[in-house]
Amino acid sequence: MLDTASQNTPLIQMMDIDKQFGGVHAVQGVSVDLYPGEVVGVLGHNGAGKSCLMRMLSGAMTLSGGQINVNGTTVEFKSPQDAKKYGIETIYQTLALANHLDAAANLFLGRELKTRFGNLDEARMYAETKEALRQLNPNFKNLKDPVSKLSGGQRQVIAIARAIYFQAKVLVMDEPTAALGPSETAMVADLTIRLKNEGIGIFLISHDMHDVFDLCDRVIVMNKGRNVGAFAIGDVNKDDILSLIIKGTLPDDWTPRGQAA
Amino acid sequence: MAANDGKSKLSFLPSGSTLHKISALLTLLLLILAFSFTSPAFLTVNNGLTVLLQTSVIGLLAIGMTMVIITGGIDLSVGSVLALAGVVAGLVIKAGVPVIPAMALGIMAGAACGFVNGLVITKMRITPFVATLGMMMIARGIALQLTGAAPISRLGEAFGTLGNGTFFRVVEMQDNGFPKVIFAGVPYPAVLLIIVAIIGAFLLQKRQIGRHIFSVGSNEEAARLSGVNVDRTKIWAYTASGALAGLSGMVLMSRLVTVQPNEGVMYELDAIAASVIGGASLMGGVGSISGSMIGSFIIGVLRNGLNMAGTSAFIQQIIIGIVVIGAVYIDQFRNKK
Ligand SMILES: Nc1ncnc2c1ncn2[C@@H]1O[C@H](COP(=O)(O)OP(=O)(O)OP(=O)(O)O)[C@@H](O)[C@H]1O
Ligand SMILES: [Mg+2]
Repeated sequence: MLDTASQNTPLIQMMDIDKQFGGVHAVQGVSVDLYPGEVVGVLGHNGAGKSCLMRMLSGAMTLSGGQINVNGTTVEFKSPQDAKKYGIETIYQTLALANHLDAAANLFLGRELKTRFGNLDEARMYAETKEALRQLNPNFKNLKDPVSKLSGGQRQVIAIARAIYFQAKVLVMDEPTAALGPSETAMVADLTIRLKNEGIGIFLISHDMHDVFDLCDRVIVMNKGRNVGAFAIGDVNKDDILSLIIKGTLPDDWTPRGQAA
Repeated sequence: MAANDGKSKLSFLPSGSTLHKISALLTLLLLILAFSFTSPAFLTVNNGLTVLLQTSVIGLLAIGMTMVIITGGIDLSVGSVLALAGVVAGLVIKAGVPVIPAMALGIMAGAACGFVNGLVITKMRITPFVATLGMMMIARGIALQLTGAAPISRLGEAFGTLGNGTFFRVVEMQDNGFPKVIFAGVPYPAVLLIIVAIIGAFLLQKRQIGRHIFSVGSNEEAARLSGVNVDRTKIWAYTASGALAGLSGMVLMSRLVTVQPNEGVMYELDAIAASVIGGASLMGGVGSISGSMIGSFIIGVLRNGLNMAGTSAFIQQIIIGIVVIGAVYIDQFRNKK
């Protein structure tokens, strides 16, 4: 999967991205790229514009300005389907689950499996869902309950399972472990590493510094809609990142820290 | 977990509404029981067939209404669309078109009204309440304008077949030379209702479009992010509702063997009531065809039974109103939990 060509062309190039809502400038001139087999952390304070930036990559939001390239070709996503066609799967911060439907219906929503007569293939969707969820949470029960009856963590597991089920090439994870317990969080961390080793490119939004330092190869930090820093994870430590997140600048005495961190 | 797998097959999508459906069914049975005591003629085969016939128009409307309600919308235009579809069929028959293609045109006129509803709602971003309220006035206006508010009669015997024909009618010649009706026969409209209800339930439960209808009403944004074409799904639901309004227009006008441009006033309210009594939630995401059929029959049985018991039309209104509020009360109670 990791041939040299794909190593050299970024999977994703987001260039000079802008997003405005009326007067609110949610994202301003942000550029970031992503290579196969790497995890790029997108960090920033609440309301910094992380989700907006990623939603534009997912096709959930249109760009006000800028350009997105996938494997070197410029794309224009009009809908989430368009992004999915390029193998971009997203775990949304809001989870994006239909509460009245059960786990299988949500996992396959918009991409239902059908029998040869074109009917919904409930049995197959159920079996696949069971298997997909088992990998993330072996104790997952009540598969047939509407997801409104599930816990926040179980719902998040469904959202994660959905994103990885369809063989993503690019995975956008917007605070994927916010509602998870420690063992599920560890499982998502393992999963992230496994996917990365398979050559998938991952954008990870997280407020958890442990996750960031354990999983990310690079980070970008956003502050008030701007990109205020992009670093290899070895060049910064936790204090540097916190300073960027909070003040938007590095500590005054900063020099690249090499592999020291 | 293995024990879970078997039993849950039965109660798939609207699992929360199963309870509601059972209580609605019990209500229906109680009503039938009560009316059997108040009027001896109520619980007879022939009266049962009459109820079937009377309920078929509301039932057909309720099938489309339920789909729309599950998307989180409402269709106030069906009563008027029913009339307009009838007028279209009547006029083209007068122009020399045979009955069957004429009725097909009527149904298509209904579907076209529904399609316009869907476009106005999705492309112009007008709320369903306002969009279909507008269509309610527009369709009624067109129906009255085209006919000068006068009924269209003398449409020929064939036009009356759909509404008045029956299967398995048994008539016996008596010794005195007069025919005696042994079994009034199953009315065509009742058979039509059953067929359409089965198709509707099949579409909602077994096909992708049904799944998408539920998802749009459950969480429109989630549906969109998951790749569901929300606009197309809504347009589909309103078009189906319009087409079914057209079909029920054919049934009703055929039964009267006359096209009445002012028929069907307030039928949308009966259809909404039937859906809601049957457990559909106006918040979207919940509802079923079987529930709405039970709801339609509750209304049909109430009307018929109260009629037989000699209750005035005004009292009937009051009672049905109370039933609707009671059903919604139960609905809210359920949603709170
Ligand atoms: N649909 C919208 N309409 C208007 N403003 C929006 C919309 N979505 C986001 N915003 C605004 O854009 C800004 C960035 O929001 P965004 O959700 O990207 O923040 P975030 O970095 O993901 O924050 P958090 O860490 O809290 O998730 C905020 O000021 C928000 O109010
Ligand atoms: Mg966010």
